[in-house]
Amino acid sequence: MEKKKKMTTWNRMQHLDRRYIYIVVAVAIIIPLLIPFNTPTYVTEPTANIYKKIDSFADREDKAILMSFNHDASTMPELFPMEVSILRHCFERNVKVFTLCFLPQAAPLVDYAINTAKEGYDVTSGVDYLNFGYRPYALQLPIILGMGEDISEALETDSEGRKIDNLKIMENIRNYDDMNLVIDFSGSASIQTWIIYARAKFGANIAAGITAVMVADNYPYLQTGQLVGMLRGLKGAAEYEKLVDVFAAYKDEEYPNGRPYSQEILKEINVPITAKNVTYDITDDEGNVERVVTDRELQYDFKKARIGMNAQSVAHIMIIFFILVGNIGYFITRKNKQNKLG
Amino acid sequence: MKRQIPLLIVMILGFLFVIHTFVPHKISADFYDWWQEWSKAISPFAVVLGVISLGMVHGTKISRKAPNWQYSVVTLFALVFTAASGFIWGRQDGTPYMWLFENVQMPMSATMFSLLAFYIASAAYKAFRARSAEATVLLIAAIIVMLGQVPLGMSISRWIPDISTWILNVPNMAAKRAIMLGVGLGMVATSLKILLGIERSYLGGGD
Repeated sequence: MEKKKKMTTWNRMQHLDRRYIYIVVAVAIIIPLLIPFNTPTYVTEPTANIYKKIDSFADREDKAILMSFNHDASTMPELFPMEVSILRHCFERNVKVFTLCFLPQAAPLVDYAINTAKEGYDVTSGVDYLNFGYRPYALQLPIILGMGEDISEALETDSEGRKIDNLKIMENIRNYDDMNLVIDFSGSASIQTWIIYARAKFGANIAAGITAVMVADNYPYLQTGQLVGMLRGLKGAAEYEKLVDVFAAYKDEEYPNGRPYSQEILKEINVPITAKNVTYDITDDEGNVERVVTDRELQYDFKKARIGMNAQSVAHIMIIFFILVGNIGYFITRKNKQNKLG
Repeated sequence: MKRQIPLLIVMILGFLFVIHTFVPHKISADFYDWWQEWSKAISPFAVVLGVISLGMVHGTKISRKAPNWQYSVVTLFALVFTAASGFIWGRQDGTPYMWLFENVQMPMSATMFSLLAFYIASAAYKAFRARSAEATVLLIAAIIVMLGQVPLGMSISRWIPDISTWILNVPNMAAKRAIMLGVGLGMVATSLKILLGIERSYLGGGD
């Protein structure tokens, strides 16, 4: 009797109404977003490589990076924190940064990212950063190729209509030899255009910030070295946020403008996201944790990806749980059927 | 003539670009610069064409009171209103255009994309079954990669992120590279067929 009851339960679970699954997933995602908790963020090599490349341009007048926004608002939760973190890195370490987009939907995103990142920084458009603005997609190829010869000829004006040539930021910046890193943010295969034309023809360094679903597609480029690094979905964004907090935004007497990247420091430091101010939890070899609280506020926009990672962690666990339960139910039902038949 | 002239343009320009890639002569470079200038002038016409096309499609739907014609009114209104707000007040922070972007487009787009999580969870529960050896390998790989993407994976075992990276770096990459090589060869073959005038379907209108 008891056996029959169990069987019915598993059977019923096999045909569970999907609305219950939706509710569980919604709760699993919403609660970690509303009530953040601290989880360690492990920085991977593809993320660290981008950080190190940008950091090598710190305080240099003859080097700059270009951020290409190739996405719309739908992929913002994953890509926007990456963009804000990289802009912050540039502002903290005095790296010249340019922005550009070939999708009309991305134009407001560029403004939004710059406005979010520059809060609290004394940076000026045309001096520390420059938005080239939106260019029609049909012009993508001539612009990518044209920038290999002369940026100011290929683009001529910035988003505000100013002649690029006259701006201070353009001093010592002519083509990909100077604007030596291009980071393309997208939820598609748009990075390939930069690899094929800017990398192959002019030797520009290319990096990608992509949504998690596109990661597998871009691994071959990472392995061949055609991509300097890759920010992989929300995880990549969370890793970059941590790198900026630990190194670029770090201030003390020895390092008034941020400290250089170090694998050793990274291993022993965690930045709790529940703290109001930027806090460093330093773990020594014996496992003792020393807490250093700074006077800098840890803004919500600067820890968004790490909060999102909590939700993603719980969602992944939920999906794994669903897969396991579904399979257990499948095998039990199948065994019961076989028993009945024979 | 309607088909011959476009065919001729494609063939001549196609071969000129192939020659430009391999011949670094001044004439070749000048031709390339000339093309760059012209291509900039062509693209605005595409925008005009797009707006006219959208207006015609939805205008016809509204005038004929076709099923769901009300959505066409919303589409045309949104097109005019969004464009007008950008032209009149600009795109700076605090303008109506930016308000529309932050409060209408951003949440709507994110909502559409986030639905994916619900479908994946539901599909994983309903269909992801270890029915065969191949399906079991896929299932185990999926669980390891998912765990490798979150801090919990590292907490369970430091091997999980390593195995996850190995799956992405070795079997995944081998398969991806094979697909990419196939696609690449296919693209070369199709391009050659277009340049030689064998493939003409892009001209439209059927043969």
